[in-house]
Amino acid sequence: MNALQQDIAQLIINTLNLEDVTVADIPPDLPLFGEGLGLDSVDALELALALQKRYDIRIASDSKDARQHFTTVASLAAFVQAQQEA
Amino acid sequence: MNEQIASQRHWSTQKERGSLFLMRLTALSVRLFGRRLLAPVLYLIVLYFFVSARSARRHIRQYQRYLAAWSGNPALQPTLGSVFGQFIAFADNLLDRLDVWRGRLRFEQVQLVDPSGIRPRLLRSQHGGRGEILVVTHLGNPDVCRAMAELGEQVPLNVLVHNRHVAQFNRLLGEAGDRSMRLIQVSELDTAMMMDLSQRVERGEWLAIAGDRVPLHDGRRVTVNFLGHPAAFPQGPWLLAGLLRCPVNLLCCLKVDGRYRIHLDPFLDSAGWERGRRDAAIAGWVQRYADHLATQCLLAPQQWFNFYDYWQNASAEATDAN
Repeated sequence: MNALQQDIAQLIINTLNLEDVTVADIPPDLPLFGEGLGLDSVDALELALALQKRYDIRIASDSKDARQHFTTVASLAAFVQAQQEA
Repeated sequence: MNEQIASQRHWSTQKERGSLFLMRLTALSVRLFGRRLLAPVLYLIVLYFFVSARSARRHIRQYQRYLAAWSGNPALQPTLGSVFGQFIAFADNLLDRLDVWRGRLRFEQVQLVDPSGIRPRLLRSQHGGRGEILVVTHLGNPDVCRAMAELGEQVPLNVLVHNRHVAQFNRLLGEAGDRSMRLIQVSELDTAMMMDLSQRVERGEWLAIAGDRVPLHDGRRVTVNFLGHPAAFPQGPWLLAGLLRCPVNLLCCLKVDGRYRIHLDPFLDSAGWERGRRDAAIAGWVQRYADHLATQCLLAPQQWFNFYDYWQNASAEATDAN
């Protein structure tokens, strides 16, 4: 897990107040929704706002695209990185 | 059978057919003939609506019956006259809305009931504060938001609507010279929309959203007790408030003794929920909101302008809960 991935995992824990969950419990390729971490669509919105504040990123209005970015910590990290380099 | 299907049609499909066309027609006619000449015509249209729309009559009767029973005031029991009165109140409301849109209804003519000082907060947020949420209702005249924008002295107010004809409404507003109020179409709360709204709130803009109508394609609803019977309310406004972590205020504008009165009530200092208790938190807020709405119905019993089957959604939800 790289530094950005770790940072994002911690952001997920803090934003959603996940008690009893540590960064180690969220490996980069764990699905965040459904079976994996068990987040729902409202959690996703909450997370998006936190990511926006922290990394100053924009998410385009294409919601299918957004959903793909939110699949795992790894995909989120890749997305944040791409946004920051752009 | 046909009638049953028609009567169970969702409010948003009914509205889209009628509202914009009626609004345009009346806007044009008011410009051409003036309110005094138009009023009798509109009353005739409403009379026609009253005679022909059996289901709307039934729904108003049901509302009045529930209100009478809930308040324990038999004088509120429906009669032919009281049901008709509610249709006439709607005609009046349409005429008033046009006055509001044309800027004829000035803030000085409106009485403001704002015991906790929400208006000063609105003014302050122009100078670096955060925005807040106003939950509005279809009891009374929600278009008075426009007057709110004016009384906010150009504090940007974003009105979130489910209507697809937003662009046209915005043009109407623009024609009316209104630059501070914007309509934003929200069919679903998606990530991009949330980010946009969040930035608006950080910039000090306020958001207005209706709390009493369930959008057609949004399954996020919650059933609470309203006037003694289960009714479905939207979760949207409350999700929005919780996600943006901003204060929620209630805005209701009623016509009492021929004069508009804007009621501004604080509702939540800062919306937020504990992990795992989101649904319970929202259900609690919505029940409190429904109770507040019920007491406001008593201030102006005939200004409930939801002509569709208000208590139907709750039972529909029970059958298709997934």
